[in-house]
Amino acid sequence: MLSAALAIASKDLRLLLSRGTGLVQALLLGLLLIFVFSLSQRVGEVMGPQGAAAIFWLASAFCQVLIFNTLFAIEEANGARFGLLLAPVPVQAVWLGKGIAGFTLLLCAQAVFLPAAIVFLGQTVSPLWHVGLATVLLADVGIVALGALLGALSQGQAARESLLSIVLFPLLVPVLLAGIRVGAAAFADDIPEGVESWLGLVAAFDALFLGAGIVLFPFVYGGEE
Amino acid sequence: MLLRLTRVAKFYGNRLVIKDVSFEVSAGTVTLLAGPNGAGKSTLLKLMAGLSRPSAGSVEHGAAPDASGDALGYLGHQTFIYPELTAFENLAFWARLHGLAPERCSEEALLAALERMELKRFAFERAGGFSRGMAQRLNLARVLLLSPSLLLLDEPGTGLDTRSMAILHREIAAARDRGAGIVWISHSVAEDLARADRVLAIADKRVVYSGPAADYVPEAVAC
Repeated sequence: MLSAALAIASKDLRLLLSRGTGLVQALLLGLLLIFVFSLSQRVGEVMGPQGAAAIFWLASAFCQVLIFNTLFAIEEANGARFGLLLAPVPVQAVWLGKGIAGFTLLLCAQAVFLPAAIVFLGQTVSPLWHVGLATVLLADVGIVALGALLGALSQGQAARESLLSIVLFPLLVPVLLAGIRVGAAAFADDIPEGVESWLGLVAAFDALFLGAGIVLFPFVYGGEE
Repeated sequence: MLLRLTRVAKFYGNRLVIKDVSFEVSAGTVTLLAGPNGAGKSTLLKLMAGLSRPSAGSVEHGAAPDASGDALGYLGHQTFIYPELTAFENLAFWARLHGLAPERCSEEALLAALERMELKRFAFERAGGFSRGMAQRLNLARVLLLSPSLLLLDEPGTGLDTRSMAILHREIAAARDRGAGIVWISHSVAEDLARADRVLAIADKRVVYSGPAADYVPEAVAC
């Protein structure tokens, strides 16, 4: 199953990275968000670390919606979804493959959003940057597990972009709050209060949606039209 | 026995598409699936492929994937190809996804598969620029690369030129000769009857003929 998942992930990354399909729009949307929020500050005013982290995660969340819509839409063009379903591997390989590709693409996007947030929102990198980075990685696992599950659910539906946003954002609230709270450490000089609880919440979120993905994916990604 | 359908029925919502279909596919045979438009032929093929679940009855597969090939190959209306990838990249992806042995997904093996479909000189061109016939030949290369023991074909000749049709017929015959069981929905039944061993005809949601191709008279069963 892992080898099939890696085959799917590498094919998706080849499609999205080498041809720019989908990823460019996701990057532009995220950068636009960061830039627009930077205009809300008065001249000389510096945004707090939590505010900057909130904008970073907002950009990441919108970017994620576009990434997973694109990742699942490429299987619909010539009915390739049926080909994936006919492969002699558990259908969860598709979920895992899309998750791996989504995780890589989201990290690439965040690698652009982070310096953009530092520059446009007037932040400085704190000595605790590694805490912020660890939070980003931990939160991204849960975010992509959920995105790969719900991205499959919204395929074949009219207005799938809005459907994914509607079902995804409410479920992302806990991990986004934790990401904002702890991720602010990357821009602040001290570790926020209750960091262990927030990280525990993110770990629980990851475990819940990794499990949900494995169990529920075969029910949402099938050959019925 | 490669495939057995027992009293299969399928509903889409409240609409009955097919009912009470019992049927068996043996190795080394070509079964033509005949019937008027909307009779449920494609639905039946999807049930055979496992892409759709029967509302009643059962679908049993007798073959499991082994070192020599996949259990099942499906060629539908859609080509399954990724237009942004080259023909070679498309084949390489499917070979890897199906976990083919290294010698069967080597560059030589993939190019040989494309050569067989007369696509080798287009191997490194984007598949999105292919004509319908070329795309369908690439799709056929994908299926045959897997050496399936059961081959399900849903009107594979639609939109193909004479040359592509000749290649398709050659490959169907070759698959039968190596022992594959083939179920084939054809849009020109009268023409393809001579290439089939058996016929399963569907009309009015049920099987109206199941037997040797030689005894099948299309007009007699109103298909």
